[in-house]
Amino acid sequence: MSDPQLAVSDLHVAYGPIKALRGVSLHADAGETIAVLGANGSGKTTLLRAISNMLARQQGRVRVNGADTAGVPAHKLVRDGLLHVPEGRGTIGRLTVRENLRLAYDLRPTDQSFEAALERVFARFPRMGERISQCAGHLSGGEQQMLSLARAIVNRPRLLLVDEPSLGLSPAMVDEAFAVLREFQASGMTILIVEQNVRKTLRFANRAYILRQGLLVASGSGAHLLHDPGILSHYLGAS
Amino acid sequence: MIAEQIVNGVVLGSMYALVALGYTLVFGVLDKLNFALSELFMLGGFVVIASVGLGAPLWLAGVLVLLVCGSLGLVVEFVSFRKFTSPDAQVTAALSSLAVGLIMIDLVQKTWGGEPVSVPVPIEWRRANVAFFGMQIQVMKIVILVVTLALMAVLHWLITRTAMGRNIRAVAESPTFATLLGVDVKRVNQQTFFIASALAGAGGLMFSLRNGVASSDIGFTFGLKALAIMAIGGMGDLRGAVLSGVLVGVIESLAIQFGFGKLGEVIVWALMILVLLARPGGLFGGAHGTEQRA
Repeated sequence: MSDPQLAVSDLHVAYGPIKALRGVSLHADAGETIAVLGANGSGKTTLLRAISNMLARQQGRVRVNGADTAGVPAHKLVRDGLLHVPEGRGTIGRLTVRENLRLAYDLRPTDQSFEAALERVFARFPRMGERISQCAGHLSGGEQQMLSLARAIVNRPRLLLVDEPSLGLSPAMVDEAFAVLREFQASGMTILIVEQNVRKTLRFANRAYILRQGLLVASGSGAHLLHDPGILSHYLGAS
Repeated sequence: MIAEQIVNGVVLGSMYALVALGYTLVFGVLDKLNFALSELFMLGGFVVIASVGLGAPLWLAGVLVLLVCGSLGLVVEFVSFRKFTSPDAQVTAALSSLAVGLIMIDLVQKTWGGEPVSVPVPIEWRRANVAFFGMQIQVMKIVILVVTLALMAVLHWLITRTAMGRNIRAVAESPTFATLLGVDVKRVNQQTFFIASALAGAGGLMFSLRNGVASSDIGFTFGLKALAIMAIGGMGDLRGAVLSGVLVGVIESLAIQFGFGKLGEVIVWALMILVLLARPGGLFGGAHGTEQRA
């Protein structure tokens, strides 16, 4: 366990002349949950997209499980066990629930069969069993979030990047999403979560980083940040 | 007889549909128009002539049409689409593919000259008829309908039942989300171009068999009609392309039957304008939902 599961060093990303990330360094050890918090436009989503190679970086290094990801196409990173659940959940609306899960299974078949993987999904989300033949686009927002998390049940990533899992969900569904993430956490998955829901996230994560205008301005254990009202109100506007 | 004209229309429409399917597949996946498909359609007939000239039996010539036109589709993807990925490069890619098509015309004319070239068709396909519900239908038309239906059935199976089809549908909806699910978007684009180009080539093969000649100047008009048919059926809607292809074929044939002659073609364009005004999503967009879109 010498290499951290995820190591980002001095990451720079720009959209044309606009610098979205200006030298971000962070790491997550195997089995650890880290959170990146920040206001809108601070670069959180950009950071996730750069880690999963959906965006080109100007400078810096990203190592996943010790291997430099420079030049690796994004779709191959997924096969190596990096699952990025993007903002908007990333489910394919015109494909059925089964086809969505099949995509996740085919890219990283860790179970003996697809049916076995489905059984594990149904055990956690009986609802997915009822909806299995429906188009993902016809599901409710909460069900779509279940489906996007169910993909992680199917392909058991080593590193899970989650972008705003609570966005647009009812409070009950937010609790459900975090309950599922806690199960992933307990199973030893390394998780990087980006969230607006600061308090819930700090209680969930081992450590957190605070991102502001493309720079990390603070970091610490979740519990520590949670009880530091100065940091919360200063950078995140949380009361 | 009207029933026989309707059969003629379905035969013509099935050929339109093959090219329209090519256009709508590429459009569904990339949101771009691949104008080279019109000339790959034209090329279909000449690939038959060349293959038979080299001693291939007609069935093998048909397979070669699929392979040669499909492979040329890969070239078109590489030359005209691979570099132009941003959404605002739609016009660039379309113009580039148009230019590739014009080069194909020139190369065909350099090789075979500008005049129509006769295609070796088994004589009994033209002479013999089959009785069907009181109609006498030329064997040729039956061959065209059977082959076209078989190709459509294979396409339907590929798109709805195979991993490749699932990937194609995923990329058609969102290349970003598909990539995050491990789909190789570049490969899906290549597969889409191969299939679309093979279908256009097959359409050209049928057209040249029916006419007994291959001509280097048919691609433009036929391809534009296929584009209109794609628009009538709904951009990216596979079932819509087939249904509106048959609809347009039948309208044209009946127009000839009732003495409107070339006015039948005007009906196609007028129909497209009306459909686009009334239902910009295509004639069948509402009825079939979105799952038929590739």
